[in-house]
Amino acid sequence: MHATICDLITDLVQNSIEAGATETTLTVEERGTELAIVIADNGKGMSAETLERAKDPFWSDGLKHKHRRVGLGLPFLFQTAEATGGTARIESEEGVGTTVEIRLDTANVDLPAFGNFATAATTLMAYGFEGNLEIERSAGAKRYKVGKRGLEEVLGDLEDAGNLSLLKRFFEENEQELAR
Amino acid sequence: MGKMTLEELRKLREQKKGEMVQRDSAGKSAQIIIGMGTCGIAAGAKEAFDAFLDELDSHGITDTRITQTGCMGLCFSEPTVEVAVPGMPRVVYGNVDGTIARRIVREHIIGKALVSDHIFDKPAADIIN
Repeated sequence: MHATICDLITDLVQNSIEAGATETTLTVEERGTELAIVIADNGKGMSAETLERAKDPFWSDGLKHKHRRVGLGLPFLFQTAEATGGTARIESEEGVGTTVEIRLDTANVDLPAFGNFATAATTLMAYGFEGNLEIERSAGAKRYKVGKRGLEEVLGDLEDAGNLSLLKRFFEENEQELAR
Repeated sequence: MGKMTLEELRKLREQKKGEMVQRDSAGKSAQIIIGMGTCGIAAGAKEAFDAFLDELDSHGITDTRITQTGCMGLCFSEPTVEVAVPGMPRVVYGNVDGTIARRIVREHIIGKALVSDHIFDKPAADIIN
């Protein structure tokens, strides 16, 4: 499995972007010892058959790499949920989109560390795609919400190193406020 | 330090913009491409990303773009990073942890010398036709 939950989140949101989604929302909520993550997109979606096959680590649709026979993103998700007493659910419809819902128990000793959300969010916002990504983050009663379009309007080119530093600082300060 | 709003981010950007040296012209900027596929993420590509940002920022380098790509077929040497500096050969570096990322900024981007002990440029056999 991935070393941190934020690595897992990065991988799953990249799936939405690579599915051609024009709108993706990532919601990460900490409520006591429950960590609830929802990733919803309007990308190309999957048939029930494709979704079932995507859970197999030795299957890939072959679109990115013609000869490659592994696909680890979704298997890492189910492995993490199953090994730590959590749940993971995927709903997908071809031509409509995909929603991934994860519930994890942060008190479970086998759960990987949460990781660095500021870096994960920065890399996702700057992943180089046309669509929008909205991030909603909360811990208890504290929350913040930001979208890629708003950030582009303020910063311009999100792949510029100077802007990336500012973007990371934005997420770091908001994450620190959540943890306070 | 409290919650930062988009308006505060805008002010910070304006303040920083005043401190930035204007780019000479298009095409003179360096580009860093980080492999951020499942393999790259698992191997620590985000630690390399953080180190690149921090080292560029600490040297006041603003004419560089950091882009991301999926698996480059070099899973055995992740995190992999391609670096393009005008006037130099494009190079793919492998096993780029935070320390190597900082060396790439200092030696390759600033010093214009390749970090020869970390160059990997041959795609894996199952990727090439």
